[in-house]
Formats: sequence, C-alpha cells, structure tokens
Amino acid sequence: MTHFTHLDSKGQAHMVDVSAKAVTARTARASASVTMQPHTLEMILAGGHAKGDVLATARIAGIQAAKRTPDLIPLCHPLMLSRVTVDLHPDPQLPGIRIEATCKLAGQTGVEMEALTAASVAALTLYDMCKAVDKTMLIGDIRVLQKQGGKSGDWLYEADTSAPASAASPVQGSQDAALQVRFFAELREQMQQDELQVAVASLQAADYPLTVAGLSDWLHQQFPALKSGRLMVAVNQQMAELSTALKSGDEVAFFPPVTGG
Amino acid sequence: MFDIRVQAQRFDCGVELEALSQQRTDVGAVASFIGYVRDFNERPDVVALTLEHYPGMTEQQLRLIAEQAARRWPVLAATIIHRVGRMEPGDPIVLVAVASAHRQAAFDACNFIMDYLKTEAPFWKKEHTRTGDYWVSSRESDTLAAQRWEKTDV
Repeated sequence: MTHFTHLDSKGQAHMVDVSAKAVTARTARASASVTMQPHTLEMILAGGHAKGDVLATARIAGIQAAKRTPDLIPLCHPLMLSRVTVDLHPDPQLPGIRIEATCKLAGQTGVEMEALTAASVAALTLYDMCKAVDKTMLIGDIRVLQKQGGKSGDWLYEADTSAPASAASPVQGSQDAALQVRFFAELREQMQQDELQVAVASLQAADYPLTVAGLSDWLHQQFPALKSGRLMVAVNQQMAELSTALKSGDEVAFFPPVTGG
Repeated sequence: MFDIRVQAQRFDCGVELEALSQQRTDVGAVASFIGYVRDFNERPDVVALTLEHYPGMTEQQLRLIAEQAARRWPVLAATIIHRVGRMEPGDPIVLVAVASAHRQAAFDACNFIMDYLKTEAPFWKKEHTRTGDYWVSSRESDTLAAQRWEKTDV
C-alpha cells in the first residue's frame, strides 16, 4: 500500500530507519528550468554578464547544494554521494536554460532529493546571477525524471522531454509522414527516452532507404549514445528483419535480445 | 483454450493448475513449469530483478507460441502467466502449464512453449546486485534450446 513513509503510526514526522535495507547502486535524475527574456539568454550565451560565467557558477552551485541536502530537508538522510553532475542546456524555444542534475551513490536510500536540490539551487543561482537584467524570470519544471536501484525499482518519468533540444530537433517531423520509434530495456536507457517520432522526410533527405536497416543506420548516426550490437526489431508489434520495408505510421520497436522466463 | 496473462501480481500455482482440468474429463495429463528468481546469476548477490515487457506485443507473441505448440501436439488447454516489475529471490516469475490427454504431449508442449518464450517473447531482465545493476544478456544455450525443435520431427 502506498503511504507517507515519513509519518509514523501516530502521524508524527520521523526519519525512516534504513539500517536493514540492502546497499545498492542508486541513481536519480531531476530537472528544472529557468524561463527568461530572449535577450537575457543571449547575454548568458555571449558571456556578457557583470557577475561572470553564469552557467559555470550555476553548475558549481548545484553540485554544492546536492552535498548539503540533509541540512535543508528535515527528514532526509545524510548520504555519501559518489557522483553529482549538473548539466545546463540553453533552450531558445523556452527561451531559457534547462537544468538536469544526476546524483549517484551506493547506499541504503534513494538520491532523488539530492538531484532535486541540485537542480533547484542551480536554477536559483541562475536567477541570482541574472536578476539585475531580468526580474521576470520563471523557475519551473522541477521534477524527478528517473530513479534507478533500490527496493521500489527503476522508475522513469513518462513524458520525459528533458533531452537536450539538439538531440530532439532532427525528429520534429510532421505527424502525417512519420514513423513511431520505440525503445525498450537497455536501448531505452541509452536513448534516455522510450519513444521518438522520426519524419519519413528526414530519412529520405539523408538518402537512407525506408527499411528497418535504413532507420537503424540513421538512428545510430543521429544518436551516438545508441550502441551497436545485436538488436531485435518489431514492426507494428510483429518480429521483423533488417530488410523489412517501412511506411508512414508504422510503429518500429528496437530492443536487445529477449531475456524473460 | 489459452489463458495468457502478463501481470505484476503473484500467481497461485495450485489454483491455476486445478483450473486447467476443472469441469472436464478428457484431460489425462497436466505438465507445468515454474520459473523463480535466483539469488545468483551473472554476478553473485542478486538482491532483486526488474522485468520489463512490450505491452500488447508480449501477450500477442505468447499467444502465437501457444498456438504453434497446439499445432504440433494435441493440446487441450494451456496457461501462460508471466510477471513483470520488481521481484526478489524466491519469487515466482513465470508459469507455463499444458493440459493434454497423455503425458508426453503435455511435457513436450510445455518444454516447447518455455524454450520459445525465452527467445521470442519480449521480456527483459535487469538484475540488481550489491555491486550494481545490469541488464541480463541473452544466452546462447537458450537459442540452441529453441532451435532443437526445428530439427525434431513430431
């Protein structure tokens, strides 16, 4: 049954005893965004701010904040973080900066609070660095994107649109002439997304044939994170071959060799 | 005739096996296989595993495998239940049970379904160990096990 773990049987706040939980490798990824005036973003990218390098400062602030999480959140355990990364992607569509924080450790409790704190403080620091030129900035999109390890298992935020704009842009094709591409298991993790729309036109423009092999080659070229190796493919939920021809509207799923049973 | 389920909840083997022969008198044999989570695999100290599937396609593939078995052997009924989500060592993962008039057909069809489930049904296992998580690799021995049915004459 789902319940609030930080409340005891009397409804009082307490710190959860995790001493009996197994030590496992855990990772959490969280996002935040700062929406700003287009000229503020331009100034950040041009490096013209009086306070210096905005993005580098926000990144360090995020990393420092992750390490101070138990000081800020009352019932949060102090953790020995093994890795903290804070990435900041300028997004002209927003317009603003998208922040993604990842925290890792081998321990007995999850690291999503650390990732959320890192992303939040990086956003606050962006505000602090830029408030002299833009007071209307909006901080948003603070959420957990992914959790791995631990008792409750792997979890992925379904509408994960946090991928950097550069990776997503080549596939923003028109809906009526597109392939619906899906990824499972290890491939989903390599791609950091479970679904992708690929415009038929983007394959044709790059001279790739409209077949499973053509789509696979195109994906490997567009997404270097996608490792090569033995893959299985299904078209419209039926097992397919590399030579299988594709047409607009097809659902094409890529996955590693199956390991059920 | 086929009862195919992909679910997160545990199943009750006793209930499922009884259901195969209930209210019929033509069943002479029920053969079954139950797969469990082991605490060792590619690495020792497996603390849990997470099973992922392809909703829609997985159920369809399991049905195709059961239909193939029924074309080779006189199968009267079959149940395939495969769990998904997080499981811990000792937890049951999969149940395959086949009812037939005679034992040989039930044994063979059950074996056949399990071999093809291992190589053609879209399920993926991620193992969680004390030293980290990894996706389980497919085994050559499973591919060979499924291939032997291609050579055997019924």
